[in-house]
Amino acid sequence: MSLSKLLERIAQLVPVLLGVSVIAFTMMALTPGDPVQIMIGDQAITAEQEAQLRHDMGLDRPMVERFFIFLGNATHFDFGESFYHKRPVADVIAERMPATIELSLVALVVALATAIPLGVLAAIKKNSIFDRIATVGSLLGVSLPGFWFGILLLMLFAVHLHLLPVSGRIGFDSEVPNVTGFLLIDTLVAGNMKAFGDAVAHLILPAITLGLPMTAILMRVTRTSMLEVLRQDYVTFADAKGLSRRRVLFRHALKNALIPTVSVAAIETGSLLGGNMIVETVYGWPGLGRLVVESIFLRNYPLVQAAVLFYAVTYVLLNFVADLLYTVLNPRVKL
Amino acid sequence: MKTLQKILTATAIALCVGTSAASATDLTVGFTLDANTLDPANHRKRETETIIRNMYDGILTRDSNMKVVPQIAQSMVQVSPTVYDFKIRKGIKFHDGSELTAEDVKFTIDRITKDGGMGDGQTSPRQSLMGPVASTEIVDGDTVRITLREPWPILPAMLPFEEVVSKAWIEKVGNDGAATSENGTGPFKLAEWRKGDAIIMDRFDDYYGGSPDIPPVGKACVDRVIFKIIPESASRVAALLAGDVDIINELPPFSVKQVENNPDTAVMKVNGTRSFFIAMNMQGEYFDDPRVREAAAHAIDKDLIIDRILGGNAQRIEGILSPDAFAASTDLHRYSYDPELSKKLLAEAGYPSGIDITMDVEGAFKDTAEAVASLLSKAGFHTKVAVGEGAQLADKWRTKGGKKTGDMYFTSWGNGSLDPYDIFTPTHKTNDRGNSAGYSNPEVDKLLDEAAVEVDTAKRAEMYHQAEVIVNKDLPYIYLWVPADLYGVSKRVRGWKPSADSRINLHDACIE
Repeated sequence: MSLSKLLERIAQLVPVLLGVSVIAFTMMALTPGDPVQIMIGDQAITAEQEAQLRHDMGLDRPMVERFFIFLGNATHFDFGESFYHKRPVADVIAERMPATIELSLVALVVALATAIPLGVLAAIKKNSIFDRIATVGSLLGVSLPGFWFGILLLMLFAVHLHLLPVSGRIGFDSEVPNVTGFLLIDTLVAGNMKAFGDAVAHLILPAITLGLPMTAILMRVTRTSMLEVLRQDYVTFADAKGLSRRRVLFRHALKNALIPTVSVAAIETGSLLGGNMIVETVYGWPGLGRLVVESIFLRNYPLVQAAVLFYAVTYVLLNFVADLLYTVLNPRVKL
Repeated sequence: MKTLQKILTATAIALCVGTSAASATDLTVGFTLDANTLDPANHRKRETETIIRNMYDGILTRDSNMKVVPQIAQSMVQVSPTVYDFKIRKGIKFHDGSELTAEDVKFTIDRITKDGGMGDGQTSPRQSLMGPVASTEIVDGDTVRITLREPWPILPAMLPFEEVVSKAWIEKVGNDGAATSENGTGPFKLAEWRKGDAIIMDRFDDYYGGSPDIPPVGKACVDRVIFKIIPESASRVAALLAGDVDIINELPPFSVKQVENNPDTAVMKVNGTRSFFIAMNMQGEYFDDPRVREAAAHAIDKDLIIDRILGGNAQRIEGILSPDAFAASTDLHRYSYDPELSKKLLAEAGYPSGIDITMDVEGAFKDTAEAVASLLSKAGFHTKVAVGEGAQLADKWRTKGGKKTGDMYFTSWGNGSLDPYDIFTPTHKTNDRGNSAGYSNPEVDKLLDEAAVEVDTAKRAEMYHQAEVIVNKDLPYIYLWVPADLYGVSKRVRGWKPSADSRINLHDACIE
């Protein structure tokens, strides 16, 4: 891919982000619910004190003025101060982001590692008992609400079997230096294998819960696309040449069958971030999803606006990665 | 390959030890929300205060029976209706080792009450919680005098909500430093804040002992306490049952049996401070007629709902005040459950075949609201429950005198101070911020205004009583109940009692 193409793609980000900024700002500003009233809570207050609070939160200015202040500051990555944390929004988001990214990536790995082999196997053994079980399984995977499935896993593995921890990212006795914020990396860098194991144990249930719907979807996509590829002439030809079944499947068929899987996986990775909101709540996972949900209820405008922008950038970048991978898997496609 | 082997081995070990119980002197609380900030002057959240309160002590505090007692103050004297003197206890140390002085107490109050008191032109969001404070001075070496612009008898009830900071430390670290670190005088000091996950505190060994009115006086019992943030109630219950945490707050009524049936856990409860009620839109189509409001009051069997839906964990109310609040009346008229009378009253009001109405409610209380709606429907109020989001409904109903749409609003108002000023005034005074019924009665307004500044306790109580009697007759709301606060507690925990202001003070808690 040429540099000019890369720059072009980056330039495309500008209108997208501008559009998202307008939507994020107006949606929050127009949603009924007054941040000042929410902050005061159930207390008596004089009109002057209420006005002072509104002024301190910058909400006494007209909406259009507030939008341009927000936009102007956002151009140099200043998203304002969180109404509740009383610290810069960028700091608050940066603290919670690694937990969400780590969980999403592990969920993605879990999903890919399960979905692709199962999908291939289901395609090869089409209409067998295994294929039927896998089909029903994937239907369940897509239909089970993450909320319910998460609690079910919790009750089984944490409460009854005492195998895994209930919530959080790591135990209190594990001391980890904060280098990257990604506990799997930080514990390894520190050479603390016990803490690493502890972090893995905490990741298992949330990653499975988060990755399950994606596993189900990717398995279906892989199966369908593998079946299609297996019907192609070049596969029959490879078989006729006397190549081993294994070589035909993995060398010739799978590479082409994976193209749609990669596209879907990239888009679904974006939705992992959205799915995080529920999984993070169930497992007390200290990530961005939970923070955003709390902030929406509190009408914490600056934080929600910045988080929406972050999600938008992530989506755009993931699509870009998918396009790049597409060209690798299928050299006939050019960006 | 060796690294891979190591990783796999470590994982296997962790899987076995992942849920091992914490060491014997750790106490872990499964808590609903993380602190927003650790700065006592820069938040308005009850949960944040609950966490901070274990690291910071206040001038005054409350015992578990909600009685206000001195903490950092040795004594409190009301010099005149507008002047209060607080003699500051000696020998109290901040966590950095420096000694607390009257100067720190004055600085704390100034920081909260003065315009721009936080520095950089910023005013504390807690300013309004301290009422009409005019000035704070040190009158001799160890006495701090608070002077009010006008009498405000609830100052002693509100002071336990504020915590004392060190002047030198705040000046050194600034508001940013105070947001993420601490230097209080409380029984525990911050060890680590894993944001969104947990706040870990170690025992402060130089603790002065706390309020002498709340024995035992001395250092905290446990070495370490952890507030572990688990927002989802089912997960909090699971953590308690699994032995991961020792205390959980906001135990849902439907999980009470589960926690009671577990051999290692028990349920503890305390009367709450949040009154539930149904606002009837007095500017609306039907509820401007007192007969319709009375009919609605007779249509709801409160005792049945308390018993069946809330598991008996609530106190019935006939007015806005909790039975535990200052000046709560005990002789208010009880509107009996009488659906036939409701129908008769509706017919008299011109609706012999009943009326079709909608009741707004937040998702969290949908089940209870539906039970109420079914009772209303049996009495001629054909009620549809409409679930909305909290802030959106507040916007629709709490219009401060603006035009209101809708019929009924199933809602609540908290009263942590247990003083009528904080609940009666906002919900009943004409056009006040919590007056969701659109109620207006000049006589009640006058009583509420006068009671807010009356320093004679008996006279003040009588004013609130009179207001309660009028309101009980006018019926802008159907007053329902005050639910108990429920906690799930491990049987290893000793010495801890829940408190009605929903604080979780762990100074006295021990682990067996």
